[in-house]
Amino acid sequence: MSLKRNNWILSIAILILGWTTIFFLQNSIEKTYRRKLQERLVEEMMYFPSGKFLKPVLMEYQDLGADLVWLRSIQYYGYHLMTDRRYEWLGHIFETLTRLDPFFIAAYHFGSITLAWDARQPTPAIKLLRTGTKDNPLSWQLPFDIGFIYYSLLNDFDAAGYYFLIASKLPGAWNVLSRWSAFAFERAGKNEISRQIWTDIYNQTNNQAIKALAERNLALIQADEDIAVLQAAVKKYRTAFGKYPPNLYELLKIGYVKYLPKDPWGGLYVLKDSIVFSPKANRLRSGK
Amino acid sequence: MKILAIVENTFKEAVRDRLLIVLLVIGFIAIASAKIIKPLALGEETKIIKDLGLATITITSVLVAILVGGRLVYKEIEKRTIYIMLAKPVHRFQFIIGKYLGLLLVIFFTMTVMTGGFYLMLYITSTPATYSLLLAIVLSFFELSIITAIALFFSTIATPITASLFTFIIYFISNFTRDLKATAQISPSVIVKGLCNFFYYLLPNLSNFNIRNLVVHNEIINSTTIFLSIIYAVVYSALILCLASIIFQKKDF
Repeated sequence: MSLKRNNWILSIAILILGWTTIFFLQNSIEKTYRRKLQERLVEEMMYFPSGKFLKPVLMEYQDLGADLVWLRSIQYYGYHLMTDRRYEWLGHIFETLTRLDPFFIAAYHFGSITLAWDARQPTPAIKLLRTGTKDNPLSWQLPFDIGFIYYSLLNDFDAAGYYFLIASKLPGAWNVLSRWSAFAFERAGKNEISRQIWTDIYNQTNNQAIKALAERNLALIQADEDIAVLQAAVKKYRTAFGKYPPNLYELLKIGYVKYLPKDPWGGLYVLKDSIVFSPKANRLRSGK
Repeated sequence: MKILAIVENTFKEAVRDRLLIVLLVIGFIAIASAKIIKPLALGEETKIIKDLGLATITITSVLVAILVGGRLVYKEIEKRTIYIMLAKPVHRFQFIIGKYLGLLLVIFFTMTVMTGGFYLMLYITSTPATYSLLLAIVLSFFELSIITAIALFFSTIATPITASLFTFIIYFISNFTRDLKATAQISPSVIVKGLCNFFYYLLPNLSNFNIRNLVVHNEIINSTTIFLSIIYAVVYSALILCLASIIFQKKDF
């Protein structure tokens, strides 16, 4: 009995010791890689010629393939957001993903928003969404996203109004879409409607990455508005005194502004060479 | 000596198996098809011939390990030859190790024959054969050493079809374990993180052994990675064999 028990203890000890060795070995193997895990996972996708090729290869498991690419696309986006903010493969990834699952609305939505705003590629983003509308003609989200890109990034208010109008007529669309369509057609208050759209996006989505993007853009809109007020005061000063103020505090001192606002990140606005700016907003816009 | 006799017996038995011959023929046809694909490859023939050859060698060997390995122990029980074996002064763990090494020898034989066919095809198609191609095949062999151990483990507890199915499932999942780790890194839930990390280290990480892509694209291969991966394969296989021996020890015949 005792011998039997000793054998059991020995077996369990061997297994525990063995898996502990495996744990350390696996960690050591990972340390030898030149690139991080997320980079390597996404890098593998670069070898995929395109969704066209993958579709037949995955046979009946295209949905599962799409889910895997979706997980990797999030890792790719997250990794580059935290590091270099370069998204050169984002278009390729979402093209592959939506070919594998043409009905994956969240992929079109997330892909187009990140492509347009983070990768600064509004035209490929619109192309992705237009492809999506062919397979999903009843989805209001896709024409809405096209309209939003036209409105906010390409300043094509007519096209924006047209797509907002299409979206407003589709089942399940937000009630406010027809109002936005009207706003766009009148080409009125760009910042105002942008703020409204980003706020609604923030409230409607469960995707944390999109929420963060919405927050960032709301802050940038606020910064733009503050800068516009301060810049107008600087211009007024120049007209009155024939020179630019030495700093923004001067504007407050002579009553050209009621108070000096802080930027949305808690920093100060800066006046340099007659231009008012927020260092943080500039950093965010330049992707640094 | 006793183990060697089991190894020899297992090898001879598996080589006579028609399944092995069928798999080898299919493998050769797949490698030879590179000759047909070459004119259609639009300048990428070197890559396609290498990709196809390396993948065929691995897939054929995986099928041998899963299909032949899955019925290795069960066949002995079914044909009742196990009684003759165990009546002799052979420990049960020696039986398991003998069976494992015998099957590994079959895998080695399969891979050597297929590698011969692959290099012949490289020669016929005038594709440059590099030393690193051989390195990719060697690492695949160590990947196969783990799959063989898993197939043998399931063979001690299940019927051939179930054992092959389980081994295939483990093989499939083990190619995606890195996604488990990546999910653990981004998941906000402590439970999901814990579970993903647990399975990441519990299941074999077969992507450690896949350098085929790097080899075909002539990328630099880290020798430390290869060395550690080989040790990983040896330790992991030994662990699975240990588990198989424990279970086999408890079995009543």
